[in-house]
Amino acid sequence: MAAQRSIALKMNNVCKHYPGTLAVDHVDFEVNVGEVHALMGENGAGKSSLMKILAGSFSDYTGTILIQGKKVQLHSPKIAMESGIGMIYQELSLARPISIAENIMAGRLPKKFGFMLDRKQMLDESRKCLKRVGLDVHPDTAIEEISQHEAQLVEIAKALGNHPKILVMDEPTSSLSRKEVAKLFEIIEQLKKEGLTIIYISHHLPEIFKVCDRVTVMRDGKKISTDKVKDVTPEKLVEMMVGKAVDQFYTGHKTTIGDTVLKVNNLSRYGFFHDVSFELKQGEILGIAGLAGAGRSELARAMVGLDPIDAGTVELNGEYLPANTYPNSVREGLVYLSEDRKVDGLFLRLSVQQNIVAAIIPEHSTAGVYSHKHEDDTALEMIDTLEIATPNKLAESSNLSGGNQQKVLLAKWLACKPKVIILDEPSRGVDIGAKKMIHEAVIALANSGASVIVISSDLPEFVNLADRAIVLRGGYIIGEMSKDNMTEESILLAANGESKDMITQSEVSS
Amino acid sequence: MSRHQDQKVSIFERMGIYMVVIALVIIGSFVSPNFFTGSNLLTVLNAVALLGIVATGMSFITYSGNMADLSLPSVMAFSGIITVSALPLGLPIAIILGIIAGMAIGAMNGFVVGRFNANPILWTLAVTFFMEGFMRYVCGAQVYPDTTPGSSGEVFIAIFRIDDKGLLLNYICLFVNKIFGTSYVISFEIPLVVIVMFAMFMISHFIMTRTRFGVESKLVGSSREAAAGSGINVKRVVLMDFLFAALAASVGGIFLASMNKLGVFYLGKGYDFKAVTAVVIGGMFLSGGHGSMINVLGGVLVIGLLANIMTFLGINTFQQNIVTGSIFILVVGIQQYSLRKQGKDHG
Repeated sequence: MAAQRSIALKMNNVCKHYPGTLAVDHVDFEVNVGEVHALMGENGAGKSSLMKILAGSFSDYTGTILIQGKKVQLHSPKIAMESGIGMIYQELSLARPISIAENIMAGRLPKKFGFMLDRKQMLDESRKCLKRVGLDVHPDTAIEEISQHEAQLVEIAKALGNHPKILVMDEPTSSLSRKEVAKLFEIIEQLKKEGLTIIYISHHLPEIFKVCDRVTVMRDGKKISTDKVKDVTPEKLVEMMVGKAVDQFYTGHKTTIGDTVLKVNNLSRYGFFHDVSFELKQGEILGIAGLAGAGRSELARAMVGLDPIDAGTVELNGEYLPANTYPNSVREGLVYLSEDRKVDGLFLRLSVQQNIVAAIIPEHSTAGVYSHKHEDDTALEMIDTLEIATPNKLAESSNLSGGNQQKVLLAKWLACKPKVIILDEPSRGVDIGAKKMIHEAVIALANSGASVIVISSDLPEFVNLADRAIVLRGGYIIGEMSKDNMTEESILLAANGESKDMITQSEVSS
Repeated sequence: MSRHQDQKVSIFERMGIYMVVIALVIIGSFVSPNFFTGSNLLTVLNAVALLGIVATGMSFITYSGNMADLSLPSVMAFSGIITVSALPLGLPIAIILGIIAGMAIGAMNGFVVGRFNANPILWTLAVTFFMEGFMRYVCGAQVYPDTTPGSSGEVFIAIFRIDDKGLLLNYICLFVNKIFGTSYVISFEIPLVVIVMFAMFMISHFIMTRTRFGVESKLVGSSREAAAGSGINVKRVVLMDFLFAALAASVGGIFLASMNKLGVFYLGKGYDFKAVTAVVIGGMFLSGGHGSMINVLGGVLVIGLLANIMTFLGINTFQQNIVTGSIFILVVGIQQYSLRKQGKDHG
């Protein structure tokens, strides 16, 4: 009986199906009262689906869930909250223009006479919540007036306001500085002492070893193991996350590498990345490794001119590219396949064909008059080479599956015949067949003499594609890795700043 | 389910508006025996010509995802005032200056909306407010052209009243006859403003479908973020959309000043909303990226025919406004509903 009371959460045989995949595959997961329990896994390993189940996002999971020995059915966010689950997401969920107090008390504002807002009680209660996270700011301050770090603490205070039994923190440190992380850990220790149970999701290995008691690793929707943190090593954890079986379909890219095509000189965008320099050769596939928040996408966007830069230059074939003008970069042959196809990638309401030709309109215009003649051929050729599964070339692209949408996006850039293409998460949320196709296309592109930069959190993909990798951490290049000592483990360790296989930046320059 | 829905939408899109035009012509013929006559139909065209000219410009605003340019009425008034004021310099120069003045407002709008991503509705509303005060303060209450015989003012006030007494059209007939050996003769007179309207529709149809600017406007209208992410110079495209809208409104404004024989700040009032109504009835999505000039012409004709029929029925202008407003609300409502449904279907 006593033993049972000390178990805060018990998930038994929990499954969650998405069409075509089993995102959570018969998972048993147990968390003790008052412990900080780390949940780890690569992207797509199923940890976020598991936590979504806990948050009440799905009403169609199977299996049983017990919170402090009581069986619950978490079929809605409201039920989850009432059952004692508090969630803190990676992206803050606070409303920026309104005050801290209103954010903390949102949904349960205290009333006077049944209809009037009781301001005094609202301020008092939110002050109490803020005190628990050690934040000394007046609760009347608007969220937009406080720092990112303070907003993160308000987010925690807000979750605590609902008196949760279990608090889930998803990558809570991704936007914090080292000092702020230390402060957050103090708060976590404090909450732990108060008897709160915390599930801690993070990619950052050092954090796990600093703050967590036990760690559960997931891979491909299954639970791999649960261990005491003091019984495992970073290498062991990474090995479990990555799995020993290396995917067989990866073919690798071997090509002769030519002259320097792209040169990045001391590029900085303050607050995102600093003093970044590297070269890219013709026919080379260069990987940029790093954790989420290391500044990889920001670097890519600034290089091509989508985002502003504060210092430094980019040279393409020996000529300086003007900053902040993406249309010019595209014309010169430097293109960027964006991370989120639904935002700035695809024209979802337009046809597959219109998407494919979207970047080559200037090329087919003379004196401002555009010739449509090439469109049919270009579209059909791309649909053919990339095997895009679409009813016809005029189908609306939003009707395609994720994998085929991603192929359309790639087709748009292949149609421009780029000299350098930057691929940001080229196969995110894509099925294995489409992924293979995309990889083949990228390798074929490099073999044909174009140069490629790959940013990917998918480690097997990264290791397979990249000939060479630079490692970005906290906005700085901390080192470089050659193909020979690149493995999924070594990349992950390097991204965490703990690699032995990496040539560090100081060694490179000496 | 969604595919079936799409097909229904696309048939309605392609032909729908002209079916409404035909239906209105049939209804009109029942309402009055004088309806289906050459002269009445010409009256309809004459009545909507100004609206049609402004609607060609407005179409590019809607098409490029900027919804509506509410400053077009003040562009019309301003170009009229400048043209009338500049008449002593000669008619051609006056007209050119009028158009330049109108396009200056368009350039400002396009720059602010394109560069700073300002909300086009609010920004152009503010510009209208500013321009009204500006025109009253700087240009005085009203400017009248000097219409003494032989002056350029006399020619100016005649512009709106010029009928092509078979001249231009008969040249075309002669040309056609020469090639095909036919013997067409045009016996009725078409007002210049109607010819200009059709010319504007032909030009804008060409621009929208056949030029780099037109195709890029569609992409910007479909998704501004994706257009920027595809290397399209969004700022320049938006600037050009507003410039073209101001050009069309300036041409309309000059005709309007000619018709009223004066330039004054309030000329053009109401053309913003009527033009958007025509554009939306013509099947263009308020959300941008979708529509065609041919259908917008249909939308203009529907508005003209409706007004004409209601006049035959003895319905006054204010009541007509209620009807036009209701149609706008209905069409936008249907559009939003179907878009939302599509959005849901795409999950």
